[in-house]
Amino acid sequence: MKRSAVILLMFGLGTLLLPAGIVAQTKPTQVTIGIGSEPLTLMGATIVDWTTNAQLENIYDLLFTRDPKDERIVPWLATGYKVVDDKTWEVTLRRDVRFHDRERFDASSVKFTFDYLLDPKNKTHYLPRFKRVQSVEVVNDSTVRFRTSEPYPSLLNDLSLPGPFMLAPVYVQKVGIEYASSHPIGTGPYKFKEWVRGERLVLTKNPDYWAGPVKIDTVIFRVIPEFSARLAALLSGEIDVMKDVPPQAVDTVNRSGRATVRSTVSSRINYLALETLHPGPMQNVKVRQAINYAVDVDELIKTVLAGQSTRICDYVSRFDPAYTPAVKCYGYNPDKAKQLLVEAGFDPGKLTLTLDTPTGRYPLDKEVSEAIAAQLGKIGLTVHVQVNEWRSHLDKIINRKVGDMFFLGWGPDLEPTGTIAQLFVGSLTYSSFGDPKIEEMIHKAEQITNPQANAAAYQKIQEALQPMAPWVPLWQQHDLYGVATWIKWQPRPDEKVWMWEATAK
Amino acid sequence: MTRYLVARVLQAVIAVFFALTAVFFLVRITGDPVILFLPLDVQPKDITEFRHLLGFDQPVWVQYGTFLGRALHGDFGASLRYRAPALPLVLQRFPATVKLAVVSLALVAAGAVPIGVVSASHRGSLVDTLGIAVTALGQAVPGFWLGLMLIWIFGVWLRWFPVSGYGDWTHFVLPALTLAAFYAAQIARVTRSAVLDALGQDYVRTARAKGMSEPNVLARHVLKNAAIPVVTVFGLNAGQLLGGAVVTETIFAWPGLGGYILNALLGRDFPVVMVGVLFTSLIYVTMNFLVDLSYLWLNPQVRYG
Amino acid sequence: MGRPVRGPALAGMAIVLAALGCAFLAPYLAPYNPTAASFAAVLRPPSHAHPFGTDQLGRDVLSRVIFGARIALLVGIVTVVVAGLVGCSLGLASGYFGGWCDAVIMRVADVQLSFPFILLALTINAIIGAGLRNIIASLVIAGWPLYVRVVRGEVLALRNREYVQAAVATGAAVGRIILRHVLPNVTTPIIVISTLQVSQFIIAEATISFLGFGIQPPAAAWGTMVADGRNYIFFAWWLSAFPGAALALTALGVNLTGDWLRDTLDPRLRT
Repeated sequence: MKRSAVILLMFGLGTLLLPAGIVAQTKPTQVTIGIGSEPLTLMGATIVDWTTNAQLENIYDLLFTRDPKDERIVPWLATGYKVVDDKTWEVTLRRDVRFHDRERFDASSVKFTFDYLLDPKNKTHYLPRFKRVQSVEVVNDSTVRFRTSEPYPSLLNDLSLPGPFMLAPVYVQKVGIEYASSHPIGTGPYKFKEWVRGERLVLTKNPDYWAGPVKIDTVIFRVIPEFSARLAALLSGEIDVMKDVPPQAVDTVNRSGRATVRSTVSSRINYLALETLHPGPMQNVKVRQAINYAVDVDELIKTVLAGQSTRICDYVSRFDPAYTPAVKCYGYNPDKAKQLLVEAGFDPGKLTLTLDTPTGRYPLDKEVSEAIAAQLGKIGLTVHVQVNEWRSHLDKIINRKVGDMFFLGWGPDLEPTGTIAQLFVGSLTYSSFGDPKIEEMIHKAEQITNPQANAAAYQKIQEALQPMAPWVPLWQQHDLYGVATWIKWQPRPDEKVWMWEATAK
Repeated sequence: MTRYLVARVLQAVIAVFFALTAVFFLVRITGDPVILFLPLDVQPKDITEFRHLLGFDQPVWVQYGTFLGRALHGDFGASLRYRAPALPLVLQRFPATVKLAVVSLALVAAGAVPIGVVSASHRGSLVDTLGIAVTALGQAVPGFWLGLMLIWIFGVWLRWFPVSGYGDWTHFVLPALTLAAFYAAQIARVTRSAVLDALGQDYVRTARAKGMSEPNVLARHVLKNAAIPVVTVFGLNAGQLLGGAVVTETIFAWPGLGGYILNALLGRDFPVVMVGVLFTSLIYVTMNFLVDLSYLWLNPQVRYG
Repeated sequence: MGRPVRGPALAGMAIVLAALGCAFLAPYLAPYNPTAASFAAVLRPPSHAHPFGTDQLGRDVLSRVIFGARIALLVGIVTVVVAGLVGCSLGLASGYFGGWCDAVIMRVADVQLSFPFILLALTINAIIGAGLRNIIASLVIAGWPLYVRVVRGEVLALRNREYVQAAVATGAAVGRIILRHVLPNVTTPIIVISTLQVSQFIIAEATISFLGFGIQPPAAAWGTMVADGRNYIFFAWWLSAFPGAALALTALGVNLTGDWLRDTLDPRLRT
């Protein structure tokens, strides 16, 4: 009798303790990400903005995505594609994917998304980008055809970068665009829970996510515009993740015990553009070459950026298929620089130049610009650094009112039509350089659909650009993320902060 | 009296209208913002298309007319940045600023006035010197630096308070101190001199001669008479809080009105800027109006012609 | 001027003299070139070699703070002079000509005065752009109304005095009347207001620079330095602490001196 009582007691205790054991094992995990500005809208496929898309990426999915290591395009909501002819692409879609409101994802969702995106009434930022798409046809439930008005070799690339995110037709049509813009429904790993404008966006895990189990239960994006406040929050444990830890703070973060700095070589490039689109000394190629010889890029990387950058000598990042080591760096040679200036008819001691830079937009952009000015000062040049607020900076570049040189970053640079074709055609918005021969080569390259041939053509263009010295190519940024020690997550070169890839240790 | 009130209301309306118009045209001088709201890989002809879609290709006068017409119906258009109606967006930021302002005002009233009174009643003593020194510093220290130093000392080093954001009462402490500092110093000084002035008046001497105790003298005669200049300065300068708010909100990531409008101005988000200017000027003129009214009430001897 | 110069006033004047000294003698006082970047000595804490430490480009902070006095005082004084000239002229015109002229000027002044000074200046700079000239411009535009009232009041008071009316009747030139009668009475309040305004303008410039519309690098302006140092406050507090302290100290000095001036010249103006 006693023994059975003891067994019963133990059994009873065991049953009581079992749920506690289960609960202890499955305590909900929450990651808080400190972000610099709030999302501009929660509707996918509307606005091009890193912060917005970084948050939307957790709610929605794209048709294609990028491999986190080598950035090669992989199918995502799509299963594959076929180039039917010059102006038609056929994309096959995954079956059994549902939106957060349980409606089916199928060809009609793709058509709806593109109809929305291309409608001038909606004024989406993706309208200019996908302009060449005339229509999206539903072939059957899991197949769509993109019909383009002219050959569109980079269609796949544009589909794989945020964000023509797939929208939910039934939902959007039911609640209307305005409501859906603040209460989003997607197919992604996280469901929308709450949005307090200017403060936070709260997402909870989607237990039925088609791509696999979601390991972090709650993701909160907290808006902390002031950079030092974000760092303070990271160090005090108020947030778990932040982007763009400055190189000098890396030690402080690593020693804090709360977080460590994870870095990745980014696909975003930084460069010093030498403006030739308005009259000035930079219109002389020898002056441009001289500047290239006078800037010691390695010293900049070592001292201003504490080694946190990877130098480039060509005009694209290493993730770009058009990357070519055949384009060599000019190398630091101040004497050659002075000589070239003299040959060009300038006295280095008397030449005054202006350098426009944004501030806080790229890692240490202002400091790098000031350092470059100091380096150029060593060969006698007087350089005035003009620090611009971001929007004025863009304004000046667009209106060709910028100084002789300007600092800019460009990325994610994953293929050349988004980079070379944009930046070396004189009439295009952010270009600083125009040359008829180069422009013709670009025009021809834009028509080539075969990826290898396309890349080879752009490599040739870069080789032609090198003696013309349109820029001083600087580096690929290192993206430094401060991440709490208990989170297992690696940053990506394409700047996606995708919490689906994170787990708790 | 009524004539005066009507005149003031009219003046307020004109002031608001003037502000709106001035900002409308000035901001458009800087060029159109279309490009700033498009992605970097946009083509020139797309820019033209977008410009047309957003209505910026029309002559400025036409744009102004459209704006006024819509504004009278309460339609201030949609934010260029957020694609949502501008008015609700701005209104949403109100509570944070108002709460901070109220806390700051309370700090000023509860802190500065007593300091001024104590300082005056112990004139020449160590307490007085200390009070003078603190208030002089308060008026000299720039708000943005004070905020940063507070963050560094109390947030980073001592970890007593959070360094930014909007939340529970702990989040209010540092921003409110920063915002209130200059204003508090000013009020303390004014209070001190007003009390000193009142203390030197005949009726005080008479009261003392009659044997009234010092605290009683203070309470019965001095404070009442000192109140007028203090309240005047209090009201006149309450508006400074709005100006100081821009800096405080920026440093402490406070989701308020000031920082929001500044960002809209920088980002050339015209519809939000216009709503922002409307609100700021409305708050301003309302406050001035209230001050005038309270002055009238406090000191009925004043005549307005 | 019979008032003795007491403690605070003395301290104030000493500070102002020190600031002026820094401004004029900067090249002799500063131990290093304020714009000399030294990549090997980036972000060093205060030490014997660099009493105020070095900044993110290796520049000596003490030298930059000393040179910063130039911009601060330049902005403060020039702005006060220009705003004063504009305000006084408009006040004179307003009081003398009366009528339409008066109404317009006073209305504009009232509207402007009813808005917070810093917001006004900031908006103007956001529109016309940054830089030394633009900051002075926006501060002048925001600041002139302060003088108008005082001058106008004086002119109105004088207009009705007998000797002035007599002078007008005898055909004396307007200019002489103004010079002989208006200006002497106006000088005292103007001086007092101006002194107190200098510190306000210095702080306003620093605030505008702090928010990003200010003086451009590599010029060492205190407000810009505090703003730059903001991002480093965690591990390089000296970048923001020292320039800000210089600002506060200078403003304090000017205020104390201004207070003394006011107490000495015209105690009526105590607020």
